[in-house]
Amino acid sequence: MSRLETIISELSSISNNPRKAMEDYKKETGKGSVGVMPYYAPEEIIHAAGFLPVGIWGGQKSISKARAYLPPFACSIMQSVMEMQLEGVYDDLEAVLFPVPCDTLKCLSQKWKGTSPVIVFTHPQNRKLEAANKFLAEEYRLVREKLQTILNVKITDEALNQSIETYNENRKAMREFTDLAANYPQIIDPKKRHAIIKARFFMEKSKHTAMVKELNSELKSLPVEAFTGKKVVLTGIMAEPNEVLDILKDNGFAVVADDLAQESRLFRNDVPSGTDPLYRLAKWWQEFDGCSLATDAKKSRGPMMMDMVKGSKADAVVVCMMKFCDPEEFDYPIYYRQFEEAGIKSLFIEIDLETTSFEQTKTRVQSFSEML
Amino acid sequence: MFTMGIDIGSSSSKVVILEDGVNIIAGEVIQIGTGSTGPKRVLDEALSKVGLKLEDMAKIIATGYGRSSVEEAHKQISEISCQAKGVFFLVPSAKLIIDIGGQDVKAIRLDSKGGVKQFFMNDKCAAGTGRFLDVMSRVLEVNLDEMAEYDARATEPATVSSTCTVFAESEVISQLSNGVAKENIIAGVHQSVASKACGLAYRCGVEEDIVMCGGVAKDLGVVRAISKELKKPVIVAPNPQITAALGAAIFAFEEVRGANI
Ligand code: SF4
Repeated sequence: MSRLETIISELSSISNNPRKAMEDYKKETGKGSVGVMPYYAPEEIIHAAGFLPVGIWGGQKSISKARAYLPPFACSIMQSVMEMQLEGVYDDLEAVLFPVPCDTLKCLSQKWKGTSPVIVFTHPQNRKLEAANKFLAEEYRLVREKLQTILNVKITDEALNQSIETYNENRKAMREFTDLAANYPQIIDPKKRHAIIKARFFMEKSKHTAMVKELNSELKSLPVEAFTGKKVVLTGIMAEPNEVLDILKDNGFAVVADDLAQESRLFRNDVPSGTDPLYRLAKWWQEFDGCSLATDAKKSRGPMMMDMVKGSKADAVVVCMMKFCDPEEFDYPIYYRQFEEAGIKSLFIEIDLETTSFEQTKTRVQSFSEML
Repeated sequence: MFTMGIDIGSSSSKVVILEDGVNIIAGEVIQIGTGSTGPKRVLDEALSKVGLKLEDMAKIIATGYGRSSVEEAHKQISEISCQAKGVFFLVPSAKLIIDIGGQDVKAIRLDSKGGVKQFFMNDKCAAGTGRFLDVMSRVLEVNLDEMAEYDARATEPATVSSTCTVFAESEVISQLSNGVAKENIIAGVHQSVASKACGLAYRCGVEEDIVMCGGVAKDLGVVRAISKELKKPVIVAPNPQITAALGAAIFAFEEVRGANI
């Protein structure tokens, strides 16, 4: 196996087995893990405490117990997170960071069924005011205080600024990776691309950065080959389960960029520079745009995606619509119309973590490839 | 030259044999679909009707939900592309296709050359599909092919508001037991099917001519309800159940001809 293949396979196995990653971290450092619910939690605070931040993104699962607690039209990802809570999957976490930028999360944050302590905090939605930064920095101060108490460690400004740098370096490496991956679709297929990105939720960030940097330089040393398939940009909350990505691959699609909440939205902006780390983290939220969870009166998501399509020379956009996600559903007609006006083709597929039948997705993707 | 299109749906199997890309010499339908004996039977029926053998076919293309399980086919193409091809062949002025089959509802927008410009499919749910009408016809004890006549006699269409087939079924049962006339209930059922399909059509962009195909297009009650909702005339494709198979047969012809040029 070449070095490149080894790195890809290691990152893939980490992304497929978060529990092992948590156990390994504990063995190595003696410290535990803190869960991070979607979306946009300041993971850096956990990192600065020396604990492992672990992303909670549900998983492919049939839902039964969660039905007792959630309406049937709650989004698919939170149905699976609730099911896993009830199965005790998250009970080894020292704490769980719980942002509440949508109604589903707001309600869910009040009925956590696991045993770990939950730290809920709010992102302000009137984001462009200076007061928003002050409010969010104060929220983060409370998060830090609660974490200090639960984890019994002191989280200094210095350590936090250091963690922000570590994270920014990871973000930079990830941006480079996604750009490179677009040039090597024969090597980085949709599933591998996703696994490499997802691994960052279960690894200490500087380790992930080191592996991704090595991967990037291995990729760069290879010749770029012509790609005869079609290139797409993915948008939505996430593109899982893997069957969906395999269907894209089987129909000759390469993912050349993404606007997924689980992927590039997390690393397309760095945390800005400054001295007060909590203020810096808060400011990131103010500067962040193009996401259904961050109020944007200008609705810049469509134009941002159109730039992405142009920049990555993509043929089309694939909308990965999380089943019953109202923020994403509300955004869709707005950017869809902008795409139509600009002549950008798009495909709508539904992301359902419970399903095991992918016939409909296959038909949609195949038809789309025939249409392009 | 003969080419064949096979469309294996969830609840029916269809075959078209095309001569020289223009003459439909066979168009057979059997009302059972993928996973059954339907595909084999409809194939044999079509061939024996015109006295041809499988080997006489220059190319065979399969489409539909069960397209990947047709061993006889040389290739498979999605039913959206085939539907567009077949409908455009029959109605060259078509701009929007509404296709309602056994378990899928699709709206397909065409460009002026008949290419697919955009399409939307229903969610994984039987509401608004042929299956929904099957269930209702059973509960109401009215044959599917009589539903349009009943609908035409409706005086005050009932409201069937549930978006779920199972709930809609109990809604219909309670209306029956409250003495609501079957005619009015059926008109309500048709409206409910129409509202699902029109939702997809609105997403796609409504542009005339609007053509309906798929098994449900044979129910004129649904066609009328769709036309009323869209406030535009709706053309029913000739022999609407075989349009995707026809499209597959045309693709097969074009591929052979393309290879021979
Ligand atoms: S943003 Fe959408 S998918 Fe995510 S928790 Fe909220 S409703 Fe669910």
